Amino acid sequence: MAEAFCPDCKRSTEVVFDHSAGDTVCLECGLVLEAHSIDETSEWRTFANESADNDPVRVGGPSNPLLTDGGLSTVISKPNGAQGDFLSSSLGRWQNRGSNPDRSLILAFRTIANMADRLGLVATIKDRANEIYKKVEDLKSIRGRNQDAILAACLYIACRQEDRPRTVKEICSVANGATKKEIGRAKEYIVKQLEVEMGQSMEMGTIHAGDFLRRFCSHLGMSNQAVKAAQEAVHKSEELDIRRSPISIAAAVIYMITQLSEEKKPLRDISLATGVAEGTIRNSYKDLYPYAARIIPASFAKEQDLKNLCSP
Amino acid sequence: MQIGSEQVWLHMAQYNLEGCQSVDLAEHPSGIVPTLQNIVSTVNLGCKLDLKIIALQARNAEYNPKVCTGAKSEEQSKLAARKYARVVQKVGFQAQFMDFKVQNVVASCDVKFPIRLERLALHHNAFCSFEPEIFPGLIYRMKDPKIVLLIFVSGKIVLTGAKSRDQIKRGFEQIYPVVLEYRKVPQIGNEGKDSRDPVPRQLT
Repeated sequence: MAEAFCPDCKRSTEVVFDHSAGDTVCLECGLVLEAHSIDETSEWRTFANESADNDPVRVGGPSNPLLTDGGLSTVISKPNGAQGDFLSSSLGRWQNRGSNPDRSLILAFRTIANMADRLGLVATIKDRANEIYKKVEDLKSIRGRNQDAILAACLYIACRQEDRPRTVKEICSVANGATKKEIGRAKEYIVKQLEVEMGQSMEMGTIHAGDFLRRFCSHLGMSNQAVKAAQEAVHKSEELDIRRSPISIAAAVIYMITQLSEEKKPLRDISLATGVAEGTIRNSYKDLYPYAARIIPASFAKEQDLKNLCSP
Repeated sequence: MQIGSEQVWLHMAQYNLEGCQSVDLAEHPSGIVPTLQNIVSTVNLGCKLDLKIIALQARNAEYNPKVCTGAKSEEQSKLAARKYARVVQKVGFQAQFMDFKVQNVVASCDVKFPIRLERLALHHNAFCSFEPEIFPGLIYRMKDPKIVLLIFVSGKIVLTGAKSRDQIKRGFEQIYPVVLEYRKVPQIGNEGKDSRDPVPRQLT
């Protein structure tokens, strides 16, 4: 029972709140003091185990700061039952025919998301790639350039910036028809454009064989011991004067380690997992062979095993 | 030689000047002289040319807009340009020899020691681009003189984008001490330890 001032009784009286009509009524004279009060309690009940797809609290997708006005998406939908009422159905059609300023951006984001999913990349890399693409798109100078290559290069740069580099060949495999050369050129172009705009923030370290080792080893299903040995071997091999691409060195080291262990992997499997051609692995192995004793850790293989290592 | 309507572009082909002359250390403090490999120059003949007629009438002429042949030293380049101007004259056009200008000089040389490209790229980040997956050489864009150098692990260096032999010389003399800092010392029996860690420097 609440108390309020009733203008008819001219004094503070007891007042009751009628929930069904939303009225505040004076108990003494029956005067309605406030009508249509707004109920601010919850409109529906939410349960912990209920499905997440129909959460009534949410009214749209997550806001994307890269799209204009955050990606607000209110559209006029077709009326229920499709009454064919000319005005309402046309309204929907007319609104959607109007140009969406972000259409190309949304399409590009979708393509990047596709590529990232195929490679199994995390959301941070995907978002970074989207940011990079948006920045490049703002500069307008990419009109007419190979769109696939630009998107692939954005993803490549994002991976590099997050210290999880992917080889250009891996990016090629999910990119829609862009060649290694095109992606390389697009990457150089983007880096140059963004350096002008953003100063020296495009810091990307050089790639090392070690960055890819973990992934290649897991593709091949190598044992933990072998993986550790391979990582040590690659680390030591950086001191040597071997003039080969880091990926080829990684592949050759994996080959050497697997030849020394129990489960020998054929050249073809290593070639498939790393993207390096079999001939290249053979040649890199030839370059690496003289230093085998130095780079393979003693804990992994003894001298005699090394002697058993087939000569290239 | 590429003939456009008025300007003539000359690319001079390779010429390996393996000279055993002693090097003047006042001129080349590094002791190494880069050898010129290619010179591109233009000259204005001052009159409109009909390419079809030249292609048909002149000897050694191929009308293939994509083909070009070239020369070796600047004097040779100029001489060749004059010879071609004479050829064009003989065909019947009023060719003059105006504004001969060398547009690009390419040179190469060898410092004779292996180089640690990755370190160099790390410390001279602003000037270098090193992508071993894309291209095995490091691309160094020098600001003064404005030339591009391709530096390889083997120690071979290609300099390009220069307008004169002097720019090549200056560019090389500037890069030589840098490259010396990043010389790869062959490690025999001493693996893993790397004491050299040059302080990053800014080159103008």
